[in-house]
Amino acid sequence: MEVKEHEIPVAAAAANARIRTKVFADGVPASYGNLTGFHAGYFRISLSLCGQALLWKTLSEPSGGASGGSHALRRLARSVPAVAHLLLWSVALAVLAALCFLYALRCALRRRHVAAEFSHHVGVNYLFAPWISWLLLLQAAPPAAAPLSRALWWVFVAPILMLDVKIYGQWFTDGKRFLSLAANPTSQMTVVGNLVGAQAAARMGWPEAATCMFSLGMAHYLVLFVTLYQRLVGSSSLPAMLRPVFFLFIAAPSMASLAWNSIAGEFDVGSRMLFYLSLFLLASLVSRPALFRRAMRRFNLAWWAYSFPLTMLALAATEYDQEVKGVVADALMLFLSALSVLVITVLVVFTVLRAGDLFPNGDDPFAPPPPPPPLGSSNNTSSFEVSC
Amino acid sequence: MDGKENLSSTKESSDSERFPSIFKYIASNSISGFDTTPSPRSDIALFEVPEVIEDDIQERPDNVILPTSQDQTGGLAHAHSISISMPSSPTLFQAEHSYGFLACEKSISYLTKDELNNHVTANSSSHQKMEAKCHSQPISFGRSNTVATSDVLTQSNKFKDKRYDSFKTWSGKLEKQISNLRGKPPEPEIENLTKNTKREVVPAHRFFDALEGPELDKLKASEVLVLPEDKKWPFLLRFPVSSFGICLGVSSQAILWKTLATSPSTSFLHFGLTVNLVLWCLSLALLGIISSIYIVKIILYFEAVRREYYHPIRVNFFFAPWISCLFLAIGIPSSIGIKLHAALWYVLMGPIFLLELKIYGQWMSGGRRRLSKVANPSNHLSIVGNFVGALLGASMGLNEGPIFFFAVGLAHYCVLFVTLYQRLPTNETLPKDLHPVFFLFVAAPSVASMAWTKITGEFGFGSRIAYFIALFLYASLAVRINFFRGFRFSLAWWAYTFPMTGASIATIRYSVEVTNIFTQILSVALTAISIIAVASLLTSTVVHAFVLRDLFPNDIAIAISGSKVDKNINTSDNGACQSVSNGDHYQANQKEGPSLA
Repeated sequence: MEVKEHEIPVAAAAANARIRTKVFADGVPASYGNLTGFHAGYFRISLSLCGQALLWKTLSEPSGGASGGSHALRRLARSVPAVAHLLLWSVALAVLAALCFLYALRCALRRRHVAAEFSHHVGVNYLFAPWISWLLLLQAAPPAAAPLSRALWWVFVAPILMLDVKIYGQWFTDGKRFLSLAANPTSQMTVVGNLVGAQAAARMGWPEAATCMFSLGMAHYLVLFVTLYQRLVGSSSLPAMLRPVFFLFIAAPSMASLAWNSIAGEFDVGSRMLFYLSLFLLASLVSRPALFRRAMRRFNLAWWAYSFPLTMLALAATEYDQEVKGVVADALMLFLSALSVLVITVLVVFTVLRAGDLFPNGDDPFAPPPPPPPLGSSNNTSSFEVSC
Repeated sequence: MDGKENLSSTKESSDSERFPSIFKYIASNSISGFDTTPSPRSDIALFEVPEVIEDDIQERPDNVILPTSQDQTGGLAHAHSISISMPSSPTLFQAEHSYGFLACEKSISYLTKDELNNHVTANSSSHQKMEAKCHSQPISFGRSNTVATSDVLTQSNKFKDKRYDSFKTWSGKLEKQISNLRGKPPEPEIENLTKNTKREVVPAHRFFDALEGPELDKLKASEVLVLPEDKKWPFLLRFPVSSFGICLGVSSQAILWKTLATSPSTSFLHFGLTVNLVLWCLSLALLGIISSIYIVKIILYFEAVRREYYHPIRVNFFFAPWISCLFLAIGIPSSIGIKLHAALWYVLMGPIFLLELKIYGQWMSGGRRRLSKVANPSNHLSIVGNFVGALLGASMGLNEGPIFFFAVGLAHYCVLFVTLYQRLPTNETLPKDLHPVFFLFVAAPSVASMAWTKITGEFGFGSRIAYFIALFLYASLAVRINFFRGFRFSLAWWAYTFPMTGASIATIRYSVEVTNIFTQILSVALTAISIIAVASLLTSTVVHAFVLRDLFPNDIAIAISGSKVDKNINTSDNGACQSVSNGDHYQANQKEGPSLA
């Protein structure tokens, strides 16, 4: 069954043109054409939701060791009912499962596009996102799921490790994908992946594995941080619509702070320094609204990039408050948690209202140039898809 | 086209009475096509009337006639504004007419008296044939030979005032307000066509294009300044923000002497606290004086301050006053007996925090000012502020604040350190040979080591690592002392002494922890080096200030033009039209009077 909408032979150079030609020759109905545009960036939604579930779980737990001076602020912040957390967790689980299913479908049916995404310097980093979401969900799970969690940890960390080896190795060996060329703010997703794995391991009582993943993440974070700050001439620049991913600058040190907190057992100086660094970066980004102006004109998927880092920062603030009790710490925790909840609520509302903007419309941003038409075949049987 | 022939203006021609008629004639023929003048004229100066600028031409005659009627005040402002148009064909072009000066009605003019005279003499003997089409600005007024040079001199004050107006706050209006308030009679309102001198934003790359040298203060040969090069500018315009380096140097010396007197490991030297007191009071006085001068500069010459802020190296010196305040607070003699309140720390760190947000944010996201392009050793000044603040805060007993600034400083120091060590080929500002600015490398680790000691309460491994790094950097610079020769003294050198002092203080602190003969010798040696360096700098400063009287030379770095203007307008064809097009462009930027873009 071939569905031909247009038959326009397009050369590879025309991949930049806004021509949508969907000529499928592999028997897939056109209605599944949207899979082409369903890239891993959609997992930002699940990242945000799972992160939020973890935050609500942390906030709904009674703050351990609250001495007599439990301030009103802290009580307010920790007044999330357990039911709400369970509800959110279920929603997050459902969304993540759906997204994973869709992406698995895409892997099966749009192999070429997935391969193209894997080679793209921005797209490849979001391949970590599903696994991070699963790990966060695992940590946010209600206690009933505890027995499975250890096994599941291995299941989710293994792909992260494999991706690590591939991507980090590329950074200094593959000429076309050297770090100096490929570094961009989304590369911090790789670091976040390692750190989430480290935190999960530490919480499950595996200090060695936790330290291993932590050191892996931090070593590459150091290199990446410097490279990103340098903004070397010739490095690939991010399209203006993706500027919200700059918030990942906040996510990485917050996650590192949380991971070290779990490993060291307390929110010591190292964690604090990382937490303060992420606070500073938040202040730095928030004081530059012009950076995000173009991305904020229309609702698009990149907006979901705001939520996850803020959630991680709020989580770090919660741990900070746990250690350093005081009015300032309480206020910080309350403010950041409220901000995180607000942002994700706004995003959910926007998504519901303007779902059309979010749907993949067949345009795959990482599309490879279409292959040349096979020799000897007529136009009718040409089987290339061009999307821009 | 007879009109064209007559359109030639002889600014300084002997028949001055022809001026009015010529310019009236210009007015009436302003719109007609202009470009070819078939016959040469003996005293044709360059003159073209662009088609596109009608209203401009209409206005011009009015102004131009002014000089004949009113020779004294306003006229001279116009007298000095000469715009010259170039024919594009080389055959038409004579060397004498190669003046690429642009008309500046009000404030900025390249012309000085001398150049004017040259123009006068040259033009009178010119032969010229103009054929080609060439866009240009009309000549507004030409200086007549008959105008005595003495007139120029008497008016030079006003003239000079106008030239610096673009650097003044609100283009000089503030100054007028102040003088009005003080009861001076208002100056005759010079008819000016410029309503507001457009503030020229100098982009970052202009500083790299136009300047060179380790402090980006030497003008490249191909550049011109917007202020006259041969006149001595007003004092405030010559007072750079890097003067705050003196405060840094002296206040860090005060801390050194305090440490020498109070540390058990150096007690064998038997220094009292007197030197500390004297130096502390001296640095307090210096800070007060320099701050007040600079505040006056901000009030009166805000545009100049803004330009300093845009300068990639000078911007780091904006941290210097706050760091000096922090040093003063650290080095306060105990005999004064004031207990510093924690609120003071927040007050001092506030400006540093805001400046940091701006500068580090620029590194991360600024297009033109990305770190790989602008990184230079002076950026250490922005990093050191964090560590000094952490040191002071920890001394005051604060906990979280010092760690905050230490973390931020450490993260960005890593970035800067790696970048500077890489010496990226895209980096334009690193001096190829060594310059005292390199000593700033030593500052950050030594202060960080002391800050960490205060935070953790002991000279632990972290502090030692930082200290050894500082020591290594100091040694690797000290053995290359030969490469530090041959640089012109500038006030900013004072800022480069405080790293040496910081290293000495850190060594003394280390010797308290690890007391043996070697560390004591090292502390004495480093202290001696630091004191000698400061003393020699003091001598140089005094010599330059009172003997050579060039302590404050013209601050070239802030007077570069906003866009490239070709300095050498010469006979070449390309040169001519290049200059004109640049001139047009420059005009567009300057926006004087009728825009001649």
